[in-house]
Amino acid sequence: MTASALRAARPAADPRPVPRPAMLRYARLDLRRQLRDRIGMFFIVGLPTFMYLVFGLGSQDPVGSGNVAMYVMISMACYGAVTATTGVAGSAATEQVMGWGRQLGLTPMRPLAFVAVKAALAMVVAALPVALIFAIGAATGARGAWSDWLTSAAVVWAGSALFAVYGLAVCLVFRGPNAPGIASGMIVVMAFLGNVFTPMSGFMLDLGRLTPLYGYAALARFPLTDGWLPSGVRDPLWLPVANVLAWTVIFALLALWGVRRSRART
Amino acid sequence: MTSPAAVPAIRATGLRKQFRGSDQSTVVAVDGIDLVVQPGEIVAFLGPNGAGKTTTVDMMLGLTRPDAGRLEVYGTSPGEAVRRGLVSAVMQTGGLLNDFTVEETARAIAALHGRTDRVEVVLERARLTDLARRRVEACSGGEQQRLKFALALLPDPDLVILDEPTTGMDVGARQEFWQAMRADAAHGRTIVFATHYLAEADEFAERTVLMNRGRIVHDAATTDVRAAYGGRTVTLRPPPAVERADGIDPAWLAQVRRVLEPLGVTDVEVSAPSLEAAFLALTSGAGHPDRPGHRDHLVGATR
Repeated sequence: MTASALRAARPAADPRPVPRPAMLRYARLDLRRQLRDRIGMFFIVGLPTFMYLVFGLGSQDPVGSGNVAMYVMISMACYGAVTATTGVAGSAATEQVMGWGRQLGLTPMRPLAFVAVKAALAMVVAALPVALIFAIGAATGARGAWSDWLTSAAVVWAGSALFAVYGLAVCLVFRGPNAPGIASGMIVVMAFLGNVFTPMSGFMLDLGRLTPLYGYAALARFPLTDGWLPSGVRDPLWLPVANVLAWTVIFALLALWGVRRSRART
Repeated sequence: MTSPAAVPAIRATGLRKQFRGSDQSTVVAVDGIDLVVQPGEIVAFLGPNGAGKTTTVDMMLGLTRPDAGRLEVYGTSPGEAVRRGLVSAVMQTGGLLNDFTVEETARAIAALHGRTDRVEVVLERARLTDLARRRVEACSGGEQQRLKFALALLPDPDLVILDEPTTGMDVGARQEFWQAMRADAAHGRTIVFATHYLAEADEFAERTVLMNRGRIVHDAATTDVRAAYGGRTVTLRPPPAVERADGIDPAWLAQVRRVLEPLGVTDVEVSAPSLEAAFLALTSGAGHPDRPGHRDHLVGATR
């Protein structure tokens, strides 16, 4: 009983200091887990790279201040980056709902720190397809003004954050282990509608202008195209900007509603 | 053995929690609980499903806020006690991440506790060292539960709370879990666990708190609780010669009754071995009739 007596006396005599969570270590383990997910990484890196090679490689026809290869390169990088942020944010929400959140709730980590780790993780993973596809593009004949390369890459990368909110919203609304898959699957549909995979025209284009990926991809290509579409019409700058702002508000409201709803149950 | 000045591990007064059902009716899950647990105690919360055990445990961990009453864990709020690593838990519904390995899971949670030095120790304690590189999804339910136990030990807590830790385990896994638990309790940790198996409370806890419909209906030494359930039973195994396909030889049984009568035995009951005992006998390796584990069963108290 001496051991228990010693232990019993400890809390009163020696209040222990609050331990400091090693967030970076946690983030590193979580990143490794994400990179190990072969199916996830195929859609984030493999598929957009493959599609650039099929549709963009060697297309030297001029577009705006560059060529078609550059146009396709930016579009595919958009798809990769968006799939990354959707996946990371979506699985974060699903982890919380499926019970890992309760496990984390028993550690000194604050909920806000968890959000910060996942946001950082999403942006790191999103940078992978952007860097890889841009590097392949540079090596295989994508051409444009150097400033267009920089601004496009920045818009592709930073703008993908919007779809972290989207992934969060979808996974909070469709709860359960399949939710991240649903979110990523819908990205493929939205990529077609959003003029990301193949140039569209006529009614489909008019419809597509209202979908979430349209504004983001158009903004990313804006430095190159100055708003001109392959079909020969031109979007004014306010159109993609308004699209992105509107969907930011919609996704944020949806995510907020999802959070409220998941809190109400406990 | 505890000094009178020691702060209780748990002190609850008038604890109450209600939930709103889907049809807007209110369900009182915990209905005025008063409870003090001293450091070093091993206490079982025993009760049927829906008795309010999980809600009580959630409040002790700061995961649910009580509607009324006071609750202190080591003299501070439950949330603060969790942050300081004083209290930790194995929860019934706490999930694990399938694509982490056992060791990675422990490392991740250890990082959040700022205690990466304890990973090897807790894996050893939970008998998981050999499984360290296995992915969580490839682990059995019992192994996953032991992993949650290992995670609970990471902050080296003074109090561990276990909520139905052996639900869904087979008999062997359940025994292995409690063996790991018992080895750890020897270090003097305070342990509170919720269960609906009487046998688990009986074997492991010094004190049993019986809960029903959100109230504590009995709180006493486990031996008293057992007495309330009707004392002990002595089991005898008859010689093989009198065991027939249709039961025990009635003539032999009558003889046993006659011999036992002068000793004050009022009833002799014949029963088949419990499924649990049969399962263990069949799965615990060689079927030597004179193995010590086996002999326990021949003549002994069933509890």
